[in-house]
Amino acid sequence: MDIRFQDAGAAFAGKTALQPLTVTLQERRIGIIGLNGSGKTTFARMINGLVTPSTGKVTVGGLDTVKDARAVLGKVGFIFQNPQNQIILPIIREDIAFGLKNRGLSKSEIAAAVDAVLARLDIAHLAGRRAHELSGGELQLAALAAVLATGPDVLILDEPTNQLDLKNRTRVEKTIADLEETTIVISHDLALIENFDRVLLFDGGRLVADGRPPETIARYRELAAA
Amino acid sequence: MSTRNLVLSSLFAAIIVALGMLPPIYLAVFAVPITAQSLGVMMAGTVLGAYRAGAAVLIVLVLVAIGLPVLSGGRGGLAVFAGPTAGFLLGWLVGAVVTGYLSEKLVNAEQSGLVQTVSFFLACFIGGVVTVYFFGILYLGIVGGTGISKAFLGSLAFVPGDIFKAVIAALAGRAVMAGYPLLPQRA
Amino acid sequence: MKSLYVETDTILHRLSPRTKLVALAAISVALFFTRSYVLLAAAAAAGAFSYLLVGLPIREALRRLLPVFATIAAVAVFNFAFNSAEEAIVMLLRLTTLMLFAATVTATVTVASFIDEITALARPLERLGVVRAADIGLAAGLVIRFVPEILDRYAAIREAHAARGLKVGFLTVLAPLIILTLRDADNIAAAIDARGFRRQ
Repeated sequence: MDIRFQDAGAAFAGKTALQPLTVTLQERRIGIIGLNGSGKTTFARMINGLVTPSTGKVTVGGLDTVKDARAVLGKVGFIFQNPQNQIILPIIREDIAFGLKNRGLSKSEIAAAVDAVLARLDIAHLAGRRAHELSGGELQLAALAAVLATGPDVLILDEPTNQLDLKNRTRVEKTIADLEETTIVISHDLALIENFDRVLLFDGGRLVADGRPPETIARYRELAAA
Repeated sequence: MSTRNLVLSSLFAAIIVALGMLPPIYLAVFAVPITAQSLGVMMAGTVLGAYRAGAAVLIVLVLVAIGLPVLSGGRGGLAVFAGPTAGFLLGWLVGAVVTGYLSEKLVNAEQSGLVQTVSFFLACFIGGVVTVYFFGILYLGIVGGTGISKAFLGSLAFVPGDIFKAVIAALAGRAVMAGYPLLPQRA
Repeated sequence: MKSLYVETDTILHRLSPRTKLVALAAISVALFFTRSYVLLAAAAAAGAFSYLLVGLPIREALRRLLPVFATIAAVAVFNFAFNSAEEAIVMLLRLTTLMLFAATVTATVTVASFIDEITALARPLERLGVVRAADIGLAAGLVIRFVPEILDRYAAIREAHAARGLKVGFLTVLAPLIILTLRDADNIAAAIDARGFRRQ
């Protein structure tokens, strides 16, 4: 599954959030780092079409994020920073099942799919629980299950461990490591991405470094210290 | 309806429901306690504008209808709409839209805090008191069999408390606008 | 949040939701076409019978109806004093009947069934572009999901105010409560859009 940015950039209200860039992503584990306001979040949100390019175009597996928006959403799953705001129905099982509606599946097929994805992440015991009662880490895993249930090829996780305590952070880290899908992670937590295949560094709306983790992270530290 | 508007309306509906779970506010001056919930309904228009406020109150009424005990005191279900005061619930809905419309038209960011508050008060009074009572009294008079003029007289005792509510709603509406303006600007 | 549906299995439960709703609508209209004490009393008795058939313990059954019946009774007294006894009795019987049948429907139709019915009802409107039928279920779910969070937030704001030595009153908490809750809307909307929930 390759993701292509072809001279794609984004601007909001007259301000450029991401300068046009051309890059192709094919690796299995990709990290995205940068200071706040560097454009990294905009970049990630252009991959699933949440942000549409003001210039150029972005394609995922050949599908255009603007023209084939719906198909792209089917291929790209997105996990957000705040665990609270992604599970939107009261009970975990319901929330995951809601994502599988409108697919022509029978009730029992949906139930089976929900159970399967919960088992995959080792959180079957959360199925009947109320979202309000779960910890941040449990909610993030539930959100991950909800996204995985629809079978995306690519997963983007936007600072998934930012609001979690150490125990939950470790749990989510381990889960991410075991994922088979192509995974792109934005993270302030450098430990999360230091073993990835490729890391992109953004600064001031530009891609300023792109390569193996050690070099890119080192460049990031320089930038942060400046 | 954009997803953002759907979520804003639903979240405000959730606020109205949550407020119904808080104890009523007793002010020595007035005979009837003010429910936090009715204050929330009155404020919907000041915060969200006509369209979303209407949607928020509609969502609450739908939740009542489908059997959830979301009205203050744990009331819910279709039986609520069988009572003679059901007109006030319709009044809530139309009133929220009116309050929202007037808020959009009268209030803008450039005005002083005082002007904004007074404008919000007008919106809350016309939308949250006059409109609500209009539908409530009409329904009470016709369905409740009291006749409209007697329904009107019977309701007068509650009005002072509701005017005070409109003052509070206006102050809170202004505070929300200062902190997180969401009102569509048509002023 | 516990719904008002009663999970017993009676003949009433086995009727389809739509049948019950149509019947209720028909009864509501019919009640206003007669002023006969006999007919209205019979209707009220039928209503009471069906409500009791649902299977709620008497105390709970009465507790549920108390708020509504209180308003009906109050207006009946008002009518008796200021209008006529006839008007008072007719209105009392009519609305009590309506209340009983309405409560019966609420007790024998699940929340999910109601949502299905409303969604089906909204589909014609969908073609006119007025509303999205599936949004109703989503809105209901969102409310139930976030009410507990809002209550927690209320408690947290009160604590924070008290800790800062601010006078704690409901009124000082109201605006922050609304602001902090609505601030989440953009993130929640982004998550909903990212999961493709609202694309037909």
